[in-house]
Amino acid sequence: MVYYVTDLLLLGCINSIMVVGLNLQYGYTGLLNFAYYTYVAIGAYVAAVTTMGRTAMLGGGTYILGWTLPWYVGLLIGGVVAAILGAVVFGFTVRRLRSDYLAIVTVSAAFIFWNIINTYEPLFNGATGLYNVPNIISTSTARYTLVMLALSAGILAVCVWASRRIFRSPFGRLLRSMREDEAVTSAFGRTSWQPQLWIFMIGCFIAGIAGGLFVFSITAWSPYAFLPLESFILLAALIVGGAGNYWGALLGAFVLIEGLAELSRFLPSFGGGADVGAIRAIVIGVVLILMLRYRRGGLIPERWLHWYGQPTKQVLPKARFAAVRRAR
Amino acid sequence: MCGGSGAFTKRRIHHLLPLQLPKDSRGLILSQFLVAVGFGLATASVVALAAVAVSLQVSVTNFINFAYGDFMTFGAYIAWSATRHGINLVLAIILGGIATGLLGVLANILVFRPFMRQGVRPVTLLIAGVGLSFVVQNALTLIWGAEPVRFNVTLGNSLHVGPFILTPGDLAMFATSVVLLVMLHLMLAYTKFGKALRATSNNADLAKACGIDSERVVSITWFLAGLLTAVAGVGLVLQESTLDPTTGFTELFVIFGAVILGGIGRPYGAMLGALAIGLLTEISGAYLNAAYKTSIAFGVVIVLLLFRPQGLFATKGKIS
Amino acid sequence: MSSDTSDDLLTIRDVGYAYGGVWAVKGCSFSVRRGEVTGLIGPNGAGKSTMIEMLSGTLSPREGKIYFEGADITGLGPAQVSRKGIARTFQTARVLATLPVIENVILAAQDQIGENPLKALFSRGSWRSQEEDLRKEASSLLDWLGLGHHLLSPAGTLSGGQRRLMEIARALMAHPKLMLLDEPTAGVFPETSQLIASRIREIAAQGVTVLLIAHNMGFLSTVADDVVVMAEGRVLTRGPLEIVREHADVVSAYLGTAAVGSPDSGPTTARERASE
Repeated sequence: MVYYVTDLLLLGCINSIMVVGLNLQYGYTGLLNFAYYTYVAIGAYVAAVTTMGRTAMLGGGTYILGWTLPWYVGLLIGGVVAAILGAVVFGFTVRRLRSDYLAIVTVSAAFIFWNIINTYEPLFNGATGLYNVPNIISTSTARYTLVMLALSAGILAVCVWASRRIFRSPFGRLLRSMREDEAVTSAFGRTSWQPQLWIFMIGCFIAGIAGGLFVFSITAWSPYAFLPLESFILLAALIVGGAGNYWGALLGAFVLIEGLAELSRFLPSFGGGADVGAIRAIVIGVVLILMLRYRRGGLIPERWLHWYGQPTKQVLPKARFAAVRRAR
Repeated sequence: MCGGSGAFTKRRIHHLLPLQLPKDSRGLILSQFLVAVGFGLATASVVALAAVAVSLQVSVTNFINFAYGDFMTFGAYIAWSATRHGINLVLAIILGGIATGLLGVLANILVFRPFMRQGVRPVTLLIAGVGLSFVVQNALTLIWGAEPVRFNVTLGNSLHVGPFILTPGDLAMFATSVVLLVMLHLMLAYTKFGKALRATSNNADLAKACGIDSERVVSITWFLAGLLTAVAGVGLVLQESTLDPTTGFTELFVIFGAVILGGIGRPYGAMLGALAIGLLTEISGAYLNAAYKTSIAFGVVIVLLLFRPQGLFATKGKIS
Repeated sequence: MSSDTSDDLLTIRDVGYAYGGVWAVKGCSFSVRRGEVTGLIGPNGAGKSTMIEMLSGTLSPREGKIYFEGADITGLGPAQVSRKGIARTFQTARVLATLPVIENVILAAQDQIGENPLKALFSRGSWRSQEEDLRKEASSLLDWLGLGHHLLSPAGTLSGGQRRLMEIARALMAHPKLMLLDEPTAGVFPETSQLIASRIREIAAQGVTVLLIAHNMGFLSTVADDVVVMAEGRVLTRGPLEIVREHADVVSAYLGTAAVGSPDSGPTTARERASE
């Protein structure tokens, strides 16, 4: 039973790290990234191939690199590679496209990426994927989960700290204003793409780290772990939890991703494992639509007043909608 | 943890073995090419229906609905269960079409219209569409299971029609597609509704001022779009012979490719776009690993959106 | 790259802009003297707003040159133009609706150390005191403009007149040398209009040059040192308002709508006169 709980918490932590990273991109800055999970996957794969050497997989298997660096180096490299790739993608797309086109392009890119990895074996062993990734520390299986949990919780704490710092800073203010109205921001001397690039890279770096944590926890990774669909689920979790607010991000990650997954385990099964996942996805879809309709800020909406020293006050919904209507 | 629906990838297994022809003369290379062209036309006819549907809907509502792929799958499933209950194929397709049309109308009423009334940003509609896609796709999984089912109707062996190798199914689909598109064109050009639709797509407010009930136009457009999408869905499934809840969603981006190539919101452009994409994917698929075919379509989409989002045939105005 | 007198902060020479094939501004030349409040007036369609868009960098002139403090700023983008010391307000007030008023205003301050991501994350000390100062400055500006009680309200809750005031505060926060005000009193109560007028005079007294578009003659007469009259894309004439009003060309440019400067030329004019 204890193992069950720690597994749950570990998963929750890693999911939270991802949603917090996505929050930096979408919640704080309004950059839509429908391919977030792709960066997670990159982090996972890179962390794996830089640490597992050539002898780990007994059945053979082809993949690039195959170094044996220590785990923390592999983890960092995974994050950095993800961030660099994010910068490249950003350069090509985010600046040029409006939101729906951007969505289509990012999902398409995610799919192509997935397709290539799945088909072209020499990269990361194709559809079979990588397994037997070395543990970060040799200890019993039970203890290992605790170790990973501690590590993930620690990294999550760092990410939350960073989110908070960014939010309560002129940098955060700049991001918010770019999110709301780029024309006004540039009318006062700011060029948008640099701060946006920075935050995009930070978000992707966090995704890469999360991927690395995943791979060291599960000790395996394959294309079935990062279907393009997963990015949507993260985004849904963020929106429902509350985009723009890291508590909302945490809530979304734990409740939506975790809670539902576990809750559906307790429901009577309609027969077959796929049903559990299907129910969960339906619930996510419905909740997402309802949330968008009735409470666009999410369960815990953005609260900026703390920083200016007043008790928090929710943004009046009318103000928000009216402004949006006017802006159209 | 890893997603609620089954396999995402789909190997496009053609009912004919691809191109294991002896490689000598140039004549054979040409015929290889033409065979691929034939496949391209067959694919194009299916994609065209769906692309036109999407374009019609976008032209009157101004946003892209991400759940269309799943509408296609829905229509295909309805038709499939109908045939399993002994209903004749043509009737089953009609049934599927009507069911999907109604689904479209329902989606509009329940999901999209309230948002549009609120005056939300396009992102929100997009995400709502994604949410809808989750719901539909997984509802299908719940009802019919995640395992692929076989949906195939053998109408005889492949024929050699000129330089092309096609099955009677392909030909039937092609014919159906052409008929439907012609009917659509006639409707758009000559009926009162068609005119109302064109007016609304051009300028919704102006159309309303002229007494056109744009809500009704929108509802009927959703119905039509759903209907066409369902037929396309069935056509797609018959080509592949297998159907699973993710079938439509994977096709969605190929369809988007066609829509964008032809210019978003321009149904006539979408027909040409479908032709282009169908040919492109099949021909390149003949020379590269077949598994990359869908990636190629996606690649086209990306390149287009980055460099020429107005499509290949950019002129002013939507439905000419 | 020459400018005329060092007295001229802004010089516009033969500037033109076309929307598609239609020339909104053509062969327009004038200059704005340092430290003055210059009004830019003219009938609808004269090209005034287009002129402001070109001055602020949103649009690039198709022909002609713009000089600011002697330097050529033709064709620079809005961010660059604003960094040279030009701030603007918008014809329809653009506020960041969901953010608090004070944040809207502080945003305009230039050279904020904390906007650098690395400094924001790792070195709070380096920008903390600047942030304090900026908040004090923003609060006092907003107070001075009558918005002191709304510091933390979402900007979307402000009324139209309040938004215009906020925009002025925001423009001032950037410590500009030149302020471009696009119809700062459109749709505003007479009392607010008076407040805006007196604040603008105070701003000018502090050495900030102001170029503003306005239609209300009463407002202009209290605020502007000089007006430039535009019609059909070019400058018709310039001079003090009382003189320009009587100019035959100016009157006919306004084409038979209430003649420029008459007591009935605008609803607020009569009230302003009544309160003089």
